[in-house]
Amino acid sequence: MHKETKHTTKVVNSICPYCGVGCGIGLQVCGEQVIGVEPQRNHPVSQGKLCAKGWSTAFALDPKDRITTPLIKENGQFRPASWDEAYSVIIEAFTAAIEEKGPDGLGIIACARATNEDCYAAQKFARAALGTNNVDHCARICHSPSVAGLRQTLGSGAMTNSIDDIEQADLIVIWGADPTENHSVLGGRIMAAKLAGAKLLVVDPRQTRLAKMADVHLQPRLGTNVALSNGLLHILFKQGWEAKAFLEQRCENLEALKTKVQDYPPEKIEAITGVPAAQLEAAARLYHQAERALLAYGMGITQYSNGTNNVIAISNLTLATGQIGRKGTGINPLRGQNNVQGACDMGALPDVYPGYQEVEDPASNSKFSKAWGKALPGTKGLTSLGMAKAALNNDLRCMMIMGEDPVVTDPDQNEVRRSLQALDLLVVIELVMTETAKLADVILPAAAFAEKDGTFTNCERRVQRVRAAVPPPGEAKSDWKILGELAELLGYKGMAWPNAEAIFNELAALTPIYGGMDYQHLDKHYGLQWPCNEQNPAGTTLLHTEQFTRGKGQLIPVDHTDPAEMPDTDYPLFLTTTRLHFHYGCGSMTRKSPLLERETPNGVLFIHPSDASPLGIRQGSPVRISSRRGEVETRAVLSEELPEGTVAMPYHFKEAPSNQVTNNAQDPVTKMPELKACAVRVEVI
Amino acid sequence: MRAYLLEDIPSLLTHLGKDRQLFAPQHIEDGDLHWLPADAASEPALDSKPLLPLSSPKAFFFAERETLFRFDGSNFIETLPEVEPQALFGVRSCDLCAITYQDQFFKQDPYYQARRQATLLIGLDCLEPCDGGFCPTVDAGPFVREGMADLILQHHEQGWLLIAASDKGKKSIDGLPLPPAPSDWQVQRERHEHEIAARFPDATHIEAGVQFLNSGEVAATTWEAMGLQCLSCSGCTSLCPSCSCFATFEHPTEEADNGFERERCWDSCLYEAFQREASGHNPGAKAGARVERFWFHKFSDDYTAEFGRYGCVGCGRCERICPGVIGVHSVMKRISAQS
Repeated sequence: MHKETKHTTKVVNSICPYCGVGCGIGLQVCGEQVIGVEPQRNHPVSQGKLCAKGWSTAFALDPKDRITTPLIKENGQFRPASWDEAYSVIIEAFTAAIEEKGPDGLGIIACARATNEDCYAAQKFARAALGTNNVDHCARICHSPSVAGLRQTLGSGAMTNSIDDIEQADLIVIWGADPTENHSVLGGRIMAAKLAGAKLLVVDPRQTRLAKMADVHLQPRLGTNVALSNGLLHILFKQGWEAKAFLEQRCENLEALKTKVQDYPPEKIEAITGVPAAQLEAAARLYHQAERALLAYGMGITQYSNGTNNVIAISNLTLATGQIGRKGTGINPLRGQNNVQGACDMGALPDVYPGYQEVEDPASNSKFSKAWGKALPGTKGLTSLGMAKAALNNDLRCMMIMGEDPVVTDPDQNEVRRSLQALDLLVVIELVMTETAKLADVILPAAAFAEKDGTFTNCERRVQRVRAAVPPPGEAKSDWKILGELAELLGYKGMAWPNAEAIFNELAALTPIYGGMDYQHLDKHYGLQWPCNEQNPAGTTLLHTEQFTRGKGQLIPVDHTDPAEMPDTDYPLFLTTTRLHFHYGCGSMTRKSPLLERETPNGVLFIHPSDASPLGIRQGSPVRISSRRGEVETRAVLSEELPEGTVAMPYHFKEAPSNQVTNNAQDPVTKMPELKACAVRVEVI
Repeated sequence: MRAYLLEDIPSLLTHLGKDRQLFAPQHIEDGDLHWLPADAASEPALDSKPLLPLSSPKAFFFAERETLFRFDGSNFIETLPEVEPQALFGVRSCDLCAITYQDQFFKQDPYYQARRQATLLIGLDCLEPCDGGFCPTVDAGPFVREGMADLILQHHEQGWLLIAASDKGKKSIDGLPLPPAPSDWQVQRERHEHEIAARFPDATHIEAGVQFLNSGEVAATTWEAMGLQCLSCSGCTSLCPSCSCFATFEHPTEEADNGFERERCWDSCLYEAFQREASGHNPGAKAGARVERFWFHKFSDDYTAEFGRYGCVGCGRCERICPGVIGVHSVMKRISAQS
C-alpha cells in the first residue's frame, strides 16, 4: 500500500508551452508535481479549449528524465558537477575565445520556447556581458522572412489582426499552413467560422483537413507561391477588382506591381503551379466578393529560399485587395512556437535590440549602451546558420544554446553536427538530454515553463503571464538566473535581477511596444497586445488602421523562382517537411506522453499510392530516402492527401531525422533555409 | 431518508471535516471553478444556478495517472492506494449519475474502489438550468437521484434541506445537532424538480438524435463529415464524467536493471491508435468511425441493461471543450437534422 496523495491541491493558471496560439492552461498541482491540466474556461484566445499536445502537458513535465544538476563531459561521458565547477569551465573557455578571436568568437542561441525574460537576458548577456551581436534563435527557421518581408511592405512583421478576427471575416484564406494540426485551437476557430458561414480558401500542396472543408482549394506545386499570388493579382487587376481607393490613399508603387503581374496570365500560372486557370479564377472571385478577407499563413510561405519574396507576394495581394487595417482582415503569420514572437520582440536576433531597434542605428546603439552601462558592438551579428559556418571556419569558438535542438530541427543534420563538434566549447541549457545536448561539453539544467514566472507573447502579439506552479527539480534554475550568474563572473553587473518581474520592468522601459505593460495589468486582462503604451494603454488588437507602421504600404513586385533544388532523374521526387498534431518540434516534450507516442510511428514518410506502387512500396514498407546530402530510413504511409510526385516527412523524430536530407539553400535576405522543398530518391529496403 | 434543517454550511463543513479531508468546487482568482481541498472557512460554490467545474470529480476515483504495480527485479510489488477518508461537498446530480455509472464500470477495480469506498458524497440539487446542460432529458437531474449520494443538500430561503440519503450519510452527521426539516419540504421536492426541469431549453434535438442513433439511421457520410472535424485532442474524453477508457504502459525504474513500473493513464477512444492492433489492422482507422463509436457509447440502448442509464449525463462539457464543434449539441443537431 502507498499513501494516496494524488489529488489537485491548487490550480495555477499559465500559458500552454507549445505553439504560438497561446492558449490558457490551468496546471493542476499536487505537492510539487503537475498531475494534470485543464483549459482556462474564460481565456480570450482558447475559450476553454486545448489540443492533444496541450492536454498532454503533465507528461511533458514529468520529473523522470529531467537533467537536475550541471553536467560536464569527461572522456566522452557526462558527470554531475557543481554550478561553480561548470561555470568555471565556461568562463575559462569564453575568456580564451575572446582573447583569441574577440567577442565575436562567441555565439548565443536563445530560445523561442523560453520566456521573454529569458530571451531578454540572453541577448543582453551576448551584447553587454560578452560584447557580441551573435545572438539568434529558431525564428530564423520559421518566420524570419515574415519579419523581413512585412517590415519592408508594412513596417511591422507580426500578425496585423487578432485571433478574434477569425469570426469577423467572411473569407478566410489559409496559405501554406495546416492550423488544425499545428495551431489546433486556432484551427478549430477557423472550422467553427466556416461552419457558421464564412468562405474558406486554402492554398496548400497537400490536402489538409481545412482543404477538405474549403470552398476552393488551390494545390500548387512546391515553391510556386509567388507565381500563384501574382496570378491572382493578374486576374484582380484585369477585372478591375482591386481596392482602388485604398491603393490610391494608402499604398505606393502600384504601377510597378501592375506591370509585373501582367507577366503572370492564368495559362502561365497553370504551367508553373499546376493550378487550373478556372480554380485560380474561382479564388480571385472569392476575394472580389469578400467584404472582409483574413489571410493567415505559415511555413509553406516562409521555409523557402525565396521565403521573403513569398511574404512580399502575399502582402501585395493583401494590400491590393485592401484587406487590411479593419476587423476581420489582415495578413497574419501563424507563429510556430509559444514565444517565438516574444523572442523576436526581445531582440534575440543578430540585428535588433528589443522592440526591433536596429543595432546599426547609432541612436539605438547609444540608447542601449547607456541603459546597460556598456559600450555595445555596433554591427550586426551572425545568424544561427552563420554561426554554424563560422564554427566550421574556426572563427567562432564557443556557443551556448538555450533549449533548442538544432541537431534534429535545423537543415542538414550532418553539417550541424560537424559545426557543433568543431567548437572549443558547447554549452547547452536544457530540460532533458536532447540530441544537441549529447554533443555539449557542459550542460546546465533549466527550469521548465511550469517552474518559473515570466511572460510569453503569442502570435497575435498578446503578452501573457506564465506562473511558477512547482519548484524546478534538483538544482535546475531559470535561464535568466543562469545567464545573470555567468555575467557576474565575467565582470558584468547589470544582470543581477531579483526576480522575473524586475526583468520585465527593465525591458518594458526600453521596448516602446511593451512600454505600457506591467505584471499587474497583464494579470488583470489575460495579457495585453502590443503596441501597449501611453496612447494605447489597453494594448492594440488591430494594426495599420489609419496608416501603416512605415507610413504608406509598399507594393514590391517580385518574380517566381524555382526552389534551389528541383527533382531530376537522380532524385526524382520532391520532399517537403510537415508537422503532426501530436508532436511538437524535436519531440523532447510531446514524446514523453505514451499516448502521443503511440499515435504516430517514430518516423514516417508520406507518399502517394501512385508514386509508391511502381517503387514496390506498400503501407508500412521500410524505405530509404536519399538526397545529395544524406539518407534516412523509415516506414512509408500511403496518403492520397499528397500530390503525386511529392513526398512528405515530419521533422519530429530523431530516429528518422528529415534533416539528413533537407536542403540548407537559404533565403538571401534572412538566411532562412529551404526546409519545404528538396529533391529525393525513395526506395524500398 | 431522514430530512433535516441545516442553518448554515460552515457548521456542516466543520463537522464533516473532523474525520475526513473535504473537497469542494471553489472559485480561483480568474473566477473559474475547480475541485479543491476545503475546510470550514472555504466558500464552496453552491449557487442555485450551477456552474460546473470543467473537470468533473472523476479523477478522485479514476486517477488520471497511477501506478498499478512495480517490479523490483525479482518481485512484483502491489501499489494499491491507501486512501484517507474524504468527502466531496456539493456534487451536482449529473456528476453523481456519472459516478454511479463509473461505480459499475470499475466494480472489480481495486484502485478505483479503494478511493470510492473512502469517500462520502454530498450532493446538491440544482435549482436552475445551467448553460448547455440538459440533465432532465437523460434522467440525470436537476435534483440528486436516490442512492447516488450519502447526503443531499437543497437551498431554501430559511436554510438548507439536508437529507441523509444513505447509512453512511446518516452516520456522518451523528453528533451534529439538527432539527428536522419542515414537514412539507421533502414532499415539495418532487414537484419542484418538475418545475425546474420544465425551465430547461428545448432538447428535442437530443431526443431525436438518440432515436436516429439507435435505429442505425445515421448516414456514414454524416459521421465522416463530423470525423473530419475531430482533432483527436482528447478534451471530450478527459472532461466527460462517464468516460472511463485507460491505457497501460511500463517504464523502467532505477531500483534494479530490469525493474519497471506499470502505470495507467486516461486514454481517449478518439485517438487513431486507440484500437490499432499490433499487426497494424485498425477497426477505428477512420475518424468518422471513432466519432460514431464515441456517441454510440453515450446514447446506445445496448448499454442500458448493464448500466441502468445512458453514458451521457447531460452536463454539456463536451460542447464547451470541443475545438472541432462536435460536442453533444452540435452532433445531435446534425444527426437529427439529416432526415
